[in-house]
Amino acid sequence: MIGCIFNIDGGYLEGLCRGFKCGILKQADYLNLVQCETLEDLKLHLQGTDYGSFLANEPSPLQVSVIDDKLREKLVIEFQHMRKHAVEPLSTFLDFITYSYMIDNIILLITGTLHHRPISELIPKCHPLGSFEQMEAIHVAATPAELYNAVLVDTPLAPFFVDCISEQDLDEMNIEIIRNTLYKAYLEAFFNFCKELGGTTADVMCEILAFEADRRAIIITINSFGTELTKDDRAKLYPRCGKLHPDGLAALARADDYEQVKAVAEYYAEYSALFEGAGNNPGEKTLEDKFFEHEVRLNVHAFLQQFHFGVFYSYLKLKEQECRNIVWISECVAQKHRAKIDNYIPIF
Amino acid sequence: MGNLFRSEEMTLCQLFLQSEAAYACVSELGELGLVQFRDLNPDVNAFQRKFVNEVRRCDEMERKLRYLEKEIKKDGIPMLDTGENPEAPQPREMIDLEATFEKLENELREVNQNAEALKRNFLELTELKHILRKTQVFFDEAEYGYCYPTSSSSQMADPSREEEQVTLLGEEGLRAGGQALKLGFVAGVILRERIPAFERMLWRACRGNVFLRQAEIESPLEDPSNGDNVFKSVFIIFFQGDQLKTRVKKICEGFRATLYPCPEAPADRREMAMGVMTRLEDLNTVLGQTQDHRHRVLVAAAKNIKNWFVKVRKIKAIYHTLNLFNLDVTQKCLIAECWVPVLDLETIQLALRRGTERSGSSVPPILNRMESFEDPPTYNRTNKFTHGFQVLIDSYGVATYREVNPAPYTIITFPFLFAVMFGDLGHGMIMAMFGAWMVLREKPLAAKKSDSEIWNIFFGGRYIILLMGMFSMYTGFVYNDTFSKSLNVFGSYWSVNYNASTVMSNKDLQLNPSTTDYQQYPYPIGLDPVWQVAENKIIFMNAYKMKISIIIGVFQMLFGVCLSLWNFIYFQRRISIYCEFIPQIIFLCFLFLYMVILMFVKWTNYGPSTGDVKTGPYCAPSILITFINMVLFKTNSAPAVCDAYMYSGQQAFQMLLVVVALICIPWMLFAKPALILRNKRKMHVPLNSNHHNHAMGSENGDAEAALSQAQVPPPLPPHKEEEEHDVGELFIHQGIHTIEYVLGSVSHTASYLRLWALSLAHAQLSEVLWNMVLRNGLMFEGWVGGIALYITFAIWATLTIAILVLMEGLSAFLHCLRLHWVEFQSKFYQGMGYHFQPFSFEAILDSAAQGPEE
Repeated sequence: MIGCIFNIDGGYLEGLCRGFKCGILKQADYLNLVQCETLEDLKLHLQGTDYGSFLANEPSPLQVSVIDDKLREKLVIEFQHMRKHAVEPLSTFLDFITYSYMIDNIILLITGTLHHRPISELIPKCHPLGSFEQMEAIHVAATPAELYNAVLVDTPLAPFFVDCISEQDLDEMNIEIIRNTLYKAYLEAFFNFCKELGGTTADVMCEILAFEADRRAIIITINSFGTELTKDDRAKLYPRCGKLHPDGLAALARADDYEQVKAVAEYYAEYSALFEGAGNNPGEKTLEDKFFEHEVRLNVHAFLQQFHFGVFYSYLKLKEQECRNIVWISECVAQKHRAKIDNYIPIF
Repeated sequence: MGNLFRSEEMTLCQLFLQSEAAYACVSELGELGLVQFRDLNPDVNAFQRKFVNEVRRCDEMERKLRYLEKEIKKDGIPMLDTGENPEAPQPREMIDLEATFEKLENELREVNQNAEALKRNFLELTELKHILRKTQVFFDEAEYGYCYPTSSSSQMADPSREEEQVTLLGEEGLRAGGQALKLGFVAGVILRERIPAFERMLWRACRGNVFLRQAEIESPLEDPSNGDNVFKSVFIIFFQGDQLKTRVKKICEGFRATLYPCPEAPADRREMAMGVMTRLEDLNTVLGQTQDHRHRVLVAAAKNIKNWFVKVRKIKAIYHTLNLFNLDVTQKCLIAECWVPVLDLETIQLALRRGTERSGSSVPPILNRMESFEDPPTYNRTNKFTHGFQVLIDSYGVATYREVNPAPYTIITFPFLFAVMFGDLGHGMIMAMFGAWMVLREKPLAAKKSDSEIWNIFFGGRYIILLMGMFSMYTGFVYNDTFSKSLNVFGSYWSVNYNASTVMSNKDLQLNPSTTDYQQYPYPIGLDPVWQVAENKIIFMNAYKMKISIIIGVFQMLFGVCLSLWNFIYFQRRISIYCEFIPQIIFLCFLFLYMVILMFVKWTNYGPSTGDVKTGPYCAPSILITFINMVLFKTNSAPAVCDAYMYSGQQAFQMLLVVVALICIPWMLFAKPALILRNKRKMHVPLNSNHHNHAMGSENGDAEAALSQAQVPPPLPPHKEEEEHDVGELFIHQGIHTIEYVLGSVSHTASYLRLWALSLAHAQLSEVLWNMVLRNGLMFEGWVGGIALYITFAIWATLTIAILVLMEGLSAFLHCLRLHWVEFQSKFYQGMGYHFQPFSFEAILDSAAQGPEE
């Protein structure tokens, strides 16, 4: 039934999004890209794709950072276009997507000020999708409570932040905890929002978000080994909307080393497959890359169904992956370090 | 122009160019625009080709030019477009060009940077000026408020904070009175839209212990980085203590507010304001000089920029083309393959020789004709008159190589069929005048290069519109229809012989053509104007227009079938002549042409004044009923006094016609595939392995082409399965073709009735418009009539143009297009070809000029 009336509000944008999706580089494009000798070659080839002349007005010699900026700029323009044309509930959905960038920006700025970097240097590094008005004044705050009261209370992130106010002061450790608590609250809220939307959106998005939550839980666990984070604190950071919840998370909370994490993942078919063959040795893919691959797979699957919002999320994620790929290849080309050039993650 | 009726004969050529001469030669060919190069290395990446570096340099030059152009446009300097077409410069000149652009770009960037710095300085000073001016008001108010605290608080920006304000002001008053309590303040400028958030943030972060006053700067300020106008506000924040000060400053920084020092004492402020004013004046002069310099640079660049664009684009196009070529083993020469019109081989040779001379190379280029089994591209040479019509045809499908091109016939039939539907002298004249205006002012209008798509469509079809208008005037004259009124040019040949009182009292009086009411010979040309006022006008017009439509339609279809004969003769498909053309023409003639002949017979033989009742109006047979009876083998029935048939032996003759026509159907269906099969078997016996049918069939779309051609390509081994498959396909293909033709000739004949329908609709609509609108204006007497006519004429004229000329014109145009595409072209036109796209600078420059404007 939702499908019948979906097109009234969402049809145009879904069509637009699917059109954008067709512009995502194919395997053949990557094969051509990795053959490039210089960044100029790369530019020439990208001109033949959907990117068109996005680098045409950049003076030579090209920098990788310029390519990165331009790629991101293009993506942001596309996303903003869709956001501007969206109506409820899609607009809220798209806003939810931007919240994660806001979290990243806040953390970036706080960390930066902690290291006494000038704010003007940090601002350009922020993701434009996650910028908000009060962002630049964030360095006023010295404690989480201040951060909340002065800066975040007006932003949509306020409800996520409530759990963090108790932290005493802003040091590296606490920032990391704040980031993860925020992210946890955000993921759970997004998950519930998608669930409320129901229909195909819920089917598709809950799958993707559940994976995102589990990935965070696993990564947090692995990264916490050898730090002063206690197991209790760690357990508080796990987003509780994934497939690992509740038993897997409980087991993860008890884990002491990588092998135990792997043992927990064994119970879950899709995750155990990711741990298989993951490693840091040459020729093996890192666990991170494996996770990325799985994410890409899930996002590509989102396009198999129609009349749902998942395509917007998936499009953004796939496009981000593509940007990472292009930047990776550009870096390899620029540094003449061709051995690892094939470590990009193909999408189609 | 010899080949207007078919596309040009093309040939595939191989071109050997010496490396040094290649550039000049390709440049000459580009000016010529008669050669289509083929990509000889399709699987090589764009960046692995030979001349990729040159292409890249051109890209870079183009980028610089675009930058220049952007700056020129920003300053609104007109760019000189002389329309001249400089030749592509020599490769060595490229370095000069590059150096020029580099210098210009750097100069401009430097100037821009300076200007930006100056502007920033200017902006800061202006802001400071405003701060000093506005804060003066705040301070004045504060003093005023000290005297009358209650009234001042009500003026404050935020009434909810009255208390603090009162105390703050009180404190300030205390301070002024020599108390020790020190109240600090910062003053600055902030973007106006950020004020609310800024205020809220200040309030939250400082727990309400600050006091903010703000005032808007009325005039917009220029943002130095992008030149936009932005609105800003001056603010001043009062606070107490250093801790708050750092915090406030941080927030200001966070909101990109610029802070300025502002002295406390009024005298200092005044002094500072004076200083700022003088510095502003100085800056203004410097800024003016910078602008002048920038302007000079840009004006100099603007003179040449179009020229440069042309040059760079030409170079780029040449290198792109060179990238399509193959290098030979010795690296001494480049090998190209290209499609060339046979007639232009001479010209191309000449151009190549010119190119060689220009490059100073000694070895002449070699142009070899090659045999190819590939389908050559279709190239119809057009001029500005035929171009529009060719486009109409091509938008249906590009003609198969060398097949009959319907465009030349369309030049006449298209406007004519349009005019049959649009027949009105007045509307036609409006259209013709519009067309003539576009044609006469062709050059200035074309030079304008409008972006409007609708205008470009009109302008592209200006000759079509002109012809359509003129033909409509002709048919309008024949229909005797001018804005739904008739012109009585020769005087009506009908007259009223009743006296006035009889006419006024009898409603049902009729004029009898067999009496003296009618002069017994027709109006010299067109319709007698008397019909305009006749009650039975529509019945009369319908009978006439319906028949006319069918007659025109049958003749056009016959002509189409005849064109297919021409195609078959040209391609030497004898089987198709016997098995397709002949049965088709018989089918069409025996059924539909016969019907047309009956119409003429009826027109000539039956009339009111013949005296004999059998040829009188009472006995005139209905052609439609006669035709239906003929096809169904029924006998005609007629009233007792009349003959059932128009001539003796009609029934038998008609039956013969129908039977022969029906025999044509199986003839069309089976004869051709059967003959092909038989021929194939025959050929198999002597040659044993001569099977090239498939190879040729897939190329020309028709399998039998191979049979009739004398020289056969090298024989391929036989494929039994394919043959089976082929036979089935052949029968199915032929079946579809036959069904399409047989059903088509019925439905297409009926389809031509749209000529009548649209013509009727058009006439009725214009009549309604006249009667409902303009006639009302003509009914008043005296000076009121003038005003009424003034108004109604405006409405009538608008509606006439908008509905009758534009909308009806469009609808008639589309119907006419359909009649050509479907009813006419389906008889002979395959449209399976592809366009000849020569390498031509003109086309490249045009598309490049269009591109950035979108």
